[in-house]
Amino acid sequence: MTAKGFYFDSTRCTGCRTCEMACKDYKDTDIDFNYRKVYDLEGGECTLNEDGTASNSAYCYHVSVSCNHCEDPACVKVCPTTAMHKDAATGLVLVDDSKCIGCGYCHMACPYNAPKVNREAGHSVKCDGCKDRMEQGLKPMCVTACPLRALDFGDWDELQREYPDAAVGNIAPLPSKDYTNPHLLVKECRDAKPSGDMAVKVSNTQEVM
Amino acid sequence: MGLSTALSEITLVLFTTLAPSGAFAICALALLLMLAPMDAAQRRRLDKFMYIPLIATMAGLVASATHLGNPSNALFTFMGVGKSPLSNEVFAAVCFLLLTGVYWLVSFRPLKSRTARNVWLAAIVAAGVVFVFTVAFAYDVESIVTWNTPLVPAALVANACVGGPVLAATTLRISKWERQGVYRTLGWISVAGLAVSVVAYVLQGAALDGKWNYVTNAWALVPGYWWMLAAYVAFCGVAVVAEARWRDAAPSSGRRKAGAVREGSAGKGKAAAEQASNPSGHRRIAGNRPQASDVFALTCAFCGIFVMRFAFYMMHMTAGMGV
Repeated sequence: MTAKGFYFDSTRCTGCRTCEMACKDYKDTDIDFNYRKVYDLEGGECTLNEDGTASNSAYCYHVSVSCNHCEDPACVKVCPTTAMHKDAATGLVLVDDSKCIGCGYCHMACPYNAPKVNREAGHSVKCDGCKDRMEQGLKPMCVTACPLRALDFGDWDELQREYPDAAVGNIAPLPSKDYTNPHLLVKECRDAKPSGDMAVKVSNTQEVM
Repeated sequence: MGLSTALSEITLVLFTTLAPSGAFAICALALLLMLAPMDAAQRRRLDKFMYIPLIATMAGLVASATHLGNPSNALFTFMGVGKSPLSNEVFAAVCFLLLTGVYWLVSFRPLKSRTARNVWLAAIVAAGVVFVFTVAFAYDVESIVTWNTPLVPAALVANACVGGPVLAATTLRISKWERQGVYRTLGWISVAGLAVSVVAYVLQGAALDGKWNYVTNAWALVPGYWWMLAAYVAFCGVAVVAEARWRDAAPSSGRRKAGAVREGSAGKGKAAAEQASNPSGHRRIAGNRPQASDVFALTCAFCGIFVMRFAFYMMHMTAGMGV
């Protein structure tokens, strides 16, 4: 089994949501749930000085996140039925619909806000790495759709060789990589804050929650 | 966000309110049946009325199953035993309820061997303790920063020690248990459980302010935490006091209302009296009717525990970006 992962270049991402919408369209997800979400991060401030000039430390950057098909996934660890599993053939973290009871424990445990229970379907749903496209030798829809070429997907070892200047997901709002060892490589932009720096906040919470 | 999380998990709030207290009460009855000297009639009544905490526990378990998206796959839950805390919890619940349920059914024609009965009761107590602890640790997940604290299991076990004794005392009164020492012990366990849970909840509340992820902070998820804790103290405080005040007067008045036969001191005499009052030969095991004050104390205790279990689900927050 070769582990799979995503690469995200935050120096390129403009927060346009094309990845999110392409996934939504391809996977035909409900209006209130996306497998891939773009988080807007904001911080800093703009202050008016005594001499009438303004000082500005305000910044904004975006992080596009879906399931990271982690090395040590929290969702798989807590799943009572083994429905949430690491697929031996593809290395993806997948939901076996025929076993899932829809208890929502995976949703509760995932620090990347990735899985969710689809109440109508009665089971958990999440990014499956577009495994049907993968079988045809294609990249996931979000990667193909990104107009800035800020996303990539592939074998984890190859990704790491291809993007030596990227590190395993370690910028806000991502949690410390120690929780799950995510298969997410991130190239930091200038304004990106490290995981754990609480000066920065997600500003589009209603959109991503 | 916190409110919607708790509302979507409302059946789990109900489960974690009822089941641990029910398990405590069953264990208390089982211990009495094992260790306390009693006549045959009293034993039969205790055996019979064990269905009260059993129903409370089962109602909780059934409620928890209703939140599943696809209950028809529920048997797959056993595949995660030893790995997933939720599987461990379900497995412990099934073992405990099977042991208790079958004991209750068999008790209509009690086992002749006292040793066999005691072994069975001991197994019920052990399974009950394991069950309560598996519920307490069901959400002990490292990535859920608001739940990953020893205060969570401590509060849940303490909750069981608040509601459980009230439920056990109610069951004992219905089964005409007269020895006051047991009621006193149960009352003090409730007081101790209340004290421990309040300490745990205060510490948990004090820690909420420092817990953040990039989407929200724990305090914003449960803005009324201290009010909820105040409601818990009020409800459970009233329950414990109502329980204690009622303790002395109840058995005699209950007996009068139930119109049961006043029995002699010897066990055989009691059994004979029950037989005599029921000449058809069908063995009727009569108990006291539940008293309004008992129902009041029980309702208060469960309301109080429910409020804090609701607060628990409201505060769900992972590291990073999950709520």
